[in-house]
Amino acid sequence: MSRRYAIDLDVSKCVSCGACAVACMDQNDLKVKEGARPFRSVFDMERQEGEGTVYSHLSLACMHCADAPCIVGCPSACIKKDPDTNLTVFDTTNCIGCHSCAMACPYGVPGFGEDGKMVKCDGCYVRLHHGLKPACVKACPTGALKLIDLDGPEEIAPERSLRQKSMGLLERQV
Amino acid sequence: MRYAIIGFGTAGYHAAQAIRERDKAGEIVVYGDTGLAPYNPMLTTYYIFGKLPRSGLFPFGPLEAIADRLGLAFRHERVVKVRARDLTVETEGGVERFDKILIATGATAFAPPVKGLAEEDSFLMRTVDDAQRLKDRLDRGDVKSAVVVGASMAGIKVVEVLEKYGVQVCLADLAPHIFPLAAYPEVSAAIERRVAKRGIDLRFGATIDHMEVREGKNMAVMTDGAQVPADLVSLCIGTRAATQVVQGEVEIDRGILIDESMETSAPGVYAAGDCAQGANLESGERQIIGLWANANRQGAAAGANMAGGAARFEGNILHNITHFMDMDFIGFGDNRIQGELLEQGSLDGDGLYVRAVVAGGKVAGANILDSYRISGILKNYMLRLFTGEGGGVPDYQRAMLLQAGLRPEFIDRMEAMTRG
Repeated sequence: MSRRYAIDLDVSKCVSCGACAVACMDQNDLKVKEGARPFRSVFDMERQEGEGTVYSHLSLACMHCADAPCIVGCPSACIKKDPDTNLTVFDTTNCIGCHSCAMACPYGVPGFGEDGKMVKCDGCYVRLHHGLKPACVKACPTGALKLIDLDGPEEIAPERSLRQKSMGLLERQV
Repeated sequence: MRYAIIGFGTAGYHAAQAIRERDKAGEIVVYGDTGLAPYNPMLTTYYIFGKLPRSGLFPFGPLEAIADRLGLAFRHERVVKVRARDLTVETEGGVERFDKILIATGATAFAPPVKGLAEEDSFLMRTVDDAQRLKDRLDRGDVKSAVVVGASMAGIKVVEVLEKYGVQVCLADLAPHIFPLAAYPEVSAAIERRVAKRGIDLRFGATIDHMEVREGKNMAVMTDGAQVPADLVSLCIGTRAATQVVQGEVEIDRGILIDESMETSAPGVYAAGDCAQGANLESGERQIIGLWANANRQGAAAGANMAGGAARFEGNILHNITHFMDMDFIGFGDNRIQGELLEQGSLDGDGLYVRAVVAGGKVAGANILDSYRISGILKNYMLRLFTGEGGGVPDYQRAMLLQAGLRPEFIDRMEAMTRG
């Protein structure tokens, strides 16, 4: 039966260890020495806000938006929803490297490879087809990254869920 | 229910898809005079360039497959008139009545006649036929020189194609700069320097006046008196909304006026895509924003509402991304609005350059050169401000902006200048 999945981050649990990015590189055979970057970026930021310091630990990649602006923006219809998982997947045979998907994404996710074609996280949808978790979710030692069933009960409290926190922001994107 | 879709570009396609999602049994009749599957006019130059096969012009596949998938009845006919009050569609074959009608007729390239320019040497760039014609002509190998009129996104892509074919190109526009509707003059000037460096002859403040034959060669005589060799002329001057079928039936300005539900002034008649004039979120006015994503959103909203839904598409801002000659130009918003300047980077092509103008607590316009990575987040920030939402730049957006090379001072200042 087809399901609607997304990958969410519990921001209270992320420690910026980078295990997710390493798992992503391994799973996708990314040639890092040749300049490729993992599809997941890990951040450890601190910032002065008023009197205090705000610390952010983040692991960011494609959010697999329910109504994904990159799908709407791609002039060649290279990006689509996987019918079994609802993850945002792609076939870049006809990608012209115009960067319209990047301009559409409010998370700044799509990148482009050496061949000029778009690359991004596909949610490890093939792993899901075989009953496995996405590589980053499996590798996350703190349980911060979670595969979320959009039609099931929320697994992360709204104030800790990156997906829920950013939903309003996504609604503005066209 | 009986639905008519007049015109089958991406807006019509998205409407058909949205209707079918909600109404499995309704009859959807699609009228199209090209006999082609929906195609993307933006891809035409990529086909000629050789980046795409001809099939790549049709992002949703062949017409027959689409008709089967969505259960469409396709009529390869030209619509003569849509009567809004009667909800009828008239073709040369007769008149049919529908419950809902979508006008998705798109836009057509227009060009004034050029005295002395032979039809076989005159090229537009909008349709699949336009692309095929230019490709066939260039493949003959006898084009050595060309004049492209219109320093627009379409114009520069045609220049890029001609350059690839080894053609000596002159790009001319009456405007003072390249991308006059999207780029700030300083950014235009930098792009012009780079384009000129590649050997493109740029002429601004001038256009083609007429053609002459001198010593057996076709020459374009420009309005400033200059004479430029031109085996062919490509006219990329602009497009006009195709509104003919509903003239006198619904309210029309430059395009067919629509509300947030994509309905026209006539109940039951909807419009979407490049023929439609919806909301510009920045100006609050209605304006044709002829962009692929806009047509998709409008078409999907129109289709949902035609099938009894309550979809809204509030509008958009002007935005452009053009990837050409190894550079990216991205323009957001209204480049005419003056205000406080936010700037980072150099225009000399050594990485991210961004220029934003802040006015009235909003980012009124922005140009980005040589980096696509910050574009989606910056556009999102602009859209949130235009729709009255604050919230600053959250940490997950800030992190990605910093990774893409935007400096924290830029982000902090932008937030401070736009704090409500």
